[in-house]
Amino acid sequence: MNRLTSTLSNLKANNQKALVAYLVAGDPDMDSTLDLMHLFVESGVDVIEIGVPFTDPIAEGPTIQRAHDRALKNNISLKMILSLVDEFRKSNKETPIVLMGYLNTFISHIDLVQATGKDGIDSILVVDIPGELNLETYGISNPNINTISLISPTTKENRVELIANNSTGFIYYVNLRGVTGSSNLNISEIENNIGRIKKYTDLPTLAGFGIKTTEDAKTLAKFSDGIIIGSSIVEMINEASTTKEFDRIGKYIKDMKIAIS
Amino acid sequence: MTSNKFNYPDKEGFFGEFGGKFVPETLMYALEELENTYSKLKDDKDFIKEFYSDLSAFVGRPSPLYFAQRLTDKYKSGNIWLKREDLNHTGAHKINNTVGQILLAKHMGKKRIIAETGAGQHGVATATVAARLGLECHIYMGSEDVRRQSLNVYRIKLLGAHVHAVDSGSATLKDALNEAMRDWVSNIDDTYYIIGSVTGPHPYPMIVRDFNSVVGQEVIKQSKDLFNKMPDAIVACVGGGSNAMGIFYPFIEVQETRLIGVEAGGKGVSTGEHAAPLNDGTPGVLHGARSYLMQDEAGQVKDTKSVSAGLDYPGVGPEHSWLKDIGRAEYVAVSDDDALKAFHEVTELEGIMPALETAHAFAYLEPLMKELDSSSNVVINVSGRGDKDINTVAEIDGIEF
Repeated sequence: MNRLTSTLSNLKANNQKALVAYLVAGDPDMDSTLDLMHLFVESGVDVIEIGVPFTDPIAEGPTIQRAHDRALKNNISLKMILSLVDEFRKSNKETPIVLMGYLNTFISHIDLVQATGKDGIDSILVVDIPGELNLETYGISNPNINTISLISPTTKENRVELIANNSTGFIYYVNLRGVTGSSNLNISEIENNIGRIKKYTDLPTLAGFGIKTTEDAKTLAKFSDGIIIGSSIVEMINEASTTKEFDRIGKYIKDMKIAIS
Repeated sequence: MTSNKFNYPDKEGFFGEFGGKFVPETLMYALEELENTYSKLKDDKDFIKEFYSDLSAFVGRPSPLYFAQRLTDKYKSGNIWLKREDLNHTGAHKINNTVGQILLAKHMGKKRIIAETGAGQHGVATATVAARLGLECHIYMGSEDVRRQSLNVYRIKLLGAHVHAVDSGSATLKDALNEAMRDWVSNIDDTYYIIGSVTGPHPYPMIVRDFNSVVGQEVIKQSKDLFNKMPDAIVACVGGGSNAMGIFYPFIEVQETRLIGVEAGGKGVSTGEHAAPLNDGTPGVLHGARSYLMQDEAGQVKDTKSVSAGLDYPGVGPEHSWLKDIGRAEYVAVSDDDALKAFHEVTELEGIMPALETAHAFAYLEPLMKELDSSSNVVINVSGRGDKDINTVAEIDGIEF
């Protein structure tokens, strides 16, 4: 079984919620990214989501856009990210890794994605493809890698089913109409929509976008299978980019983990 | 609106292997809503009547097909005709599309209009139609373009629209498009996004083409009236490619007419510093569509270089990529220097000051006319007028006001 699938089903069996944390590879540099990945795990992160930098990240708010720009100044490529994952796997074979990015960077490296073995990345989330299409359409059909699809507040019911049937990792529910790092969560709408998704699939449904506080996390964990946090961590990484003292991030993650437990 | 045996895009929005809908999930419903509205209205008699009535009374169509005597005399190898889109209200072809799309927005009950702009012409054209209907309007423009097109920025503001300068990335048209898409994702319920070129996700390349194809339809009629046959060649500049697509589309099945798109060669295609993806790009996905794209080996989009803000874009409309691959249209590139030379020459010879974008099409006359004989007829699409570029040209010529 895929590492991501088994991790999420173990959590579910123990009545626990998943904590997914996001960072952008190479922001501020690759050594820091590796350190941060280990810090994430030590602090209670269940799944690591690595942002693959792209010049035109249309779904990202300013915080994550700037992180993409910083990473691109370091010439970070998908090839380097896959090497980073190999390095991480030398001491961690348990924590699932999801790559989140934009179609153009993945289709430029189909050979590398196809060559990924069992101990590499576990899943790919492509932000800019319609959820009912799967990665095979684009030449990516690696049995070691599963697909995460996004469902948003504007997804119509007839497409929820199509998208759910097409996802193999988890369903990423986009909490709001907006880009990453936006605010103003509409809790009752999120609850209704996640409930609707669950009518169509047994896949875990995780909530992401706009989660900032432990209160947000606690509320959303009540009706989702877990939460994804990105912009607030990326901002803290940026603030510590010169000192490389990331302790605050560890504490933030621990607090989030407690909030959803 | 245009019936044509060349029947693209397909229902998924593809022109062969180009096009499609590569967008975040949140936008899918808005694209579907737009597609449904457009497919209902495009054959609706009242809608068509309203569109053509606005084109006539508000835009000033049809635009003339004008015989360029002194340019013709210069090359002595064929008649040169100018399709005068520069005479449209607001000074460019861009208004054709915005007049059409604002009618769609009205039918959909949208209260807020957004658009991206490069040279500012689409921003002006959008702010103009929004003002006419009293709709809130936001224009995204790269901060580099805000600087070099300050006249148009002021025009947009005078029309009551808000201009948002975009600093991210290369601070030009592609970044303005990114930011407009982010606005759309965030305000999807009440906002209509008027894309300004034949780019973006399906159904935009089709809709923008259809609204702009009034230009080619007029040229068919005017060619019959003025020289009693179809043109031997049509030349148009290509950034995203809306003026070119508008004049090419009705001619796709007119096999005797060569269709020539002129991209921005910047400092020269061989230098890599240009904006000519059809000449020097590879297929990739940007802004919702698969098309030729200026990108590096890692799939990152490259910065572009052109003296013309309206052509300074790393991608191109997917239908152009398709026309290139099936060999129906030819795509060439013209350097900044040659475009500037043509700008001055056309202004002095014809008393018509073309936009720097359009000057690229004029510059291609030099090699093209050598291939033609004196009985031939060539149509240049004069996509816009050059008033907006006076500051840029003066700066290059070292003139201070």
